[in-house]
Amino acid sequence: MKRIFFFSFFIILISAAQPLAQTGPQAAFDLANTELENGNYHTALQQYKSIEQNGYQSGALYLNMGIAATQIDSLGLAKYYLLKAAQFEQVRTEASRALEYVNSQFSRQSATLPKLPWDRAVDYLKSGPGAKGVFFTGIVFAFLALILLTGKWFSFIRFPKQAQVTTASAIIALLIVILAFYTDYVDRRYDQAILIEPESRVLERPAADAPLVSIAYEGYSLTLDHRESEGHEGWYYVRLGNGQYGWIEAKGIKTL
Amino acid sequence: MTRTGKQLGSFLLFWVMVFYASGAVAQDVRVSASLSETNIFVGESVVLDITITGPTLRALDRPVLPETPGLRWLPNQTSRSTNYTYQNGRPSVTQSYGFVLIAEEVGSFTFPGVEVKVNGETYTTNPINFKVLDPKTIDSGQAERAPDIYVRIEPDITDPVVGQQVIANVVLYFKNSIEVSSYQASPGWKAEGFWKEELETQQRAQATSVLINGIRYQRARLLQYALFPTKAGELTLSPFEVTVRLRQTSRNQRDIFSLNFAQESKELRTLPVTINVRPVPQPERGELIGAVGDFEIQRSIKPSSAYVGESVEIITTISGKGNVPLLNKLEYEYPDGLEQYTPQESSNITRTNQKIAGFKSFIDIVIARNEGTYTIPGKEVAIYNPDINSFEYIKLPPLTLTAEIDPKATTPTLDELRLNVKPLTGLATWESTQAYTPLHKQPVVWTLLGLPFVLLLGALGCKTYFDKLNNDHGFARSRKARAKAVQTLSQAEQSSSVKDGYHLIEQALHQYISDKLNLPEAGLSSNKLIEELRKADIDFDSKELKRILTKCETIAYAPNITQEALTDDLVAARELIKQIEKAL
Repeated sequence: MKRIFFFSFFIILISAAQPLAQTGPQAAFDLANTELENGNYHTALQQYKSIEQNGYQSGALYLNMGIAATQIDSLGLAKYYLLKAAQFEQVRTEASRALEYVNSQFSRQSATLPKLPWDRAVDYLKSGPGAKGVFFTGIVFAFLALILLTGKWFSFIRFPKQAQVTTASAIIALLIVILAFYTDYVDRRYDQAILIEPESRVLERPAADAPLVSIAYEGYSLTLDHRESEGHEGWYYVRLGNGQYGWIEAKGIKTL
Repeated sequence: MTRTGKQLGSFLLFWVMVFYASGAVAQDVRVSASLSETNIFVGESVVLDITITGPTLRALDRPVLPETPGLRWLPNQTSRSTNYTYQNGRPSVTQSYGFVLIAEEVGSFTFPGVEVKVNGETYTTNPINFKVLDPKTIDSGQAERAPDIYVRIEPDITDPVVGQQVIANVVLYFKNSIEVSSYQASPGWKAEGFWKEELETQQRAQATSVLINGIRYQRARLLQYALFPTKAGELTLSPFEVTVRLRQTSRNQRDIFSLNFAQESKELRTLPVTINVRPVPQPERGELIGAVGDFEIQRSIKPSSAYVGESVEIITTISGKGNVPLLNKLEYEYPDGLEQYTPQESSNITRTNQKIAGFKSFIDIVIARNEGTYTIPGKEVAIYNPDINSFEYIKLPPLTLTAEIDPKATTPTLDELRLNVKPLTGLATWESTQAYTPLHKQPVVWTLLGLPFVLLLGALGCKTYFDKLNNDHGFARSRKARAKAVQTLSQAEQSSSVKDGYHLIEQALHQYISDKLNLPEAGLSSNKLIEELRKADIDFDSKELKRILTKCETIAYAPNITQEALTDDLVAARELIKQIEKAL
């Protein structure tokens, strides 16, 4: 009886805590929205940022941050927030439309090389099931292979070509698990980022006097290589949209 | 009359042609003279080369040398050679005479012109000035201390401005007693503070004779670099390393009976050379692009008329001699409405004739966002020319681009030209931002990864056990022995007859021991069973086992046996089985 009482109390406590936790960001969000509607874009953006700093995120929050940044003509920042908003299913359409507008406003556009099919596949896995999802899929195949094998040993599963199906399941499981770890590695090593400064020099070495590779302008999408950047405080090793590589100062880079 | 006139005309024409031909022949004959050395020590020999070149040398007398103060001709050593060539459809003959002379008197002299009679005409060579030096003036200690071979970097100028071309020659000096067969420059020479480019030189280094501090050396230029200083100040050219293959041709002074003809390798290093680089002065006007040299700049727009949204190239080409690779891009002020894209750059340089030359092109790509006429303002560029030590100014005229709307293009709607997305102000779905934990740091991942293997091992163990149970009769008897014995003892406990109960106890014990030890199922005496148990080195109460088995065997003859005795013996039998089970 005592146990039932404590269990019920715990459930009630959790149910009550959930709306309490939601109230905090929502109230701040509403206040920030009022500022945005009144045209106080800087104040609104600051309030949105404080919600994010408190550990909350939502599609609507990033969309509104993107709109506020657009209104104060900080297009690089706007692009960054809208790309974050586009990661949320609920506001994807609005974010894409706003991104189209923001991209058309940049005075300098970066040529973008199409990605290789393998990179596209890895990107799909990262944004879709994620490394963990891929891993669990691999584990499901591993258990399938195990069940088929033990079924044969103890004669509770029997069908033609069972050995081949079991081997295939085991190989598929292994490949999917390797793919999961590779996806995880790529996810940790590389990050997409946006330049929010008007311009930044991309150099051959992480030094201010190094030879120039190219100049990146506000709104350019960059791919950060965290592994290469290790040990170079204040610098990122990046790949530009046109395939060039170089070092860029970390100042003004917003990582997605 | 008529015939006579024709004959006279032909005759005159013939003589005109002969005269013209002879005049041409006379004009084409060239005579020259040269001395192999112009600074000669007393006792040294020199060669006077007299070369006569012409299309035909029909009558040629050997030149007669005049009396020359300071030199004496050695008549027996005179050489002569003839060379025929055919160039551009015309034959050419070259006759050379080599007169060997020996220096006898110290002083400065002039070798007078030598008269040469060719095809009936007399030609005179140019006089040659020369010095005959006294060998006593050479410090013999200094001559001995002077290295036999060394290498130097010789820049053509030592006070250039930033960006000015400096030609650095890598020059090898070696004494006449040394023959150099080959050389190999060490790769990776770094000229810190300079942009360097190796110039194309003739394949084989030619040696010339020079006097350095009274010592005669052969001088050969090995390599030639064009260096462009990239900053002002005192810059140092680091040592250049060369490996040469050489052979001493003179006799070894220590061992006068042996000749040293063996080749050896020698590594040589130049001394560091300091160059004082001056900064480029500030121009009175115009934009600096770092150009130092003799350059031309051309700027064009392609096409000058385009549709809105179509890309247009503004091509700037800087060509000429000088620091081509160090040229910077000219920055233009584009009018509003022209959208700029990432510029392109290309260049091509040549390294011949001791000059770096070529061009560098910059292509700005712009797109007109609205229709209208756009003017890209003119520009003045300042280029520093070190030959005249001042700036040259190049004016680039303005460029005009006319942009029209493509009649086939669709007009963007008003919505497309402004941010047509409204903020979301209602209730939002919140998520907490969590730091991403890599797969390899998540315990659940390793648990799930290990679980199939653990289960597989368990299943394999079970399979092995069941396989053995089915295939190994002894193992199967051993595994089932206790269960069977317990079952039989239970029957004994429930038996209504005491004697039957003891039979069942005997049966249970016999069966259990023989199954456990994999003994024949029947025909073994109690003593044999006890003996087998002892052989198996099992710790059990053998006296008690013997007592129970004996009692079971003799129960038929026992007069009064109570149910309580059976119950006690059942307990004892169970205890014995437990002991044996534990031991096995």
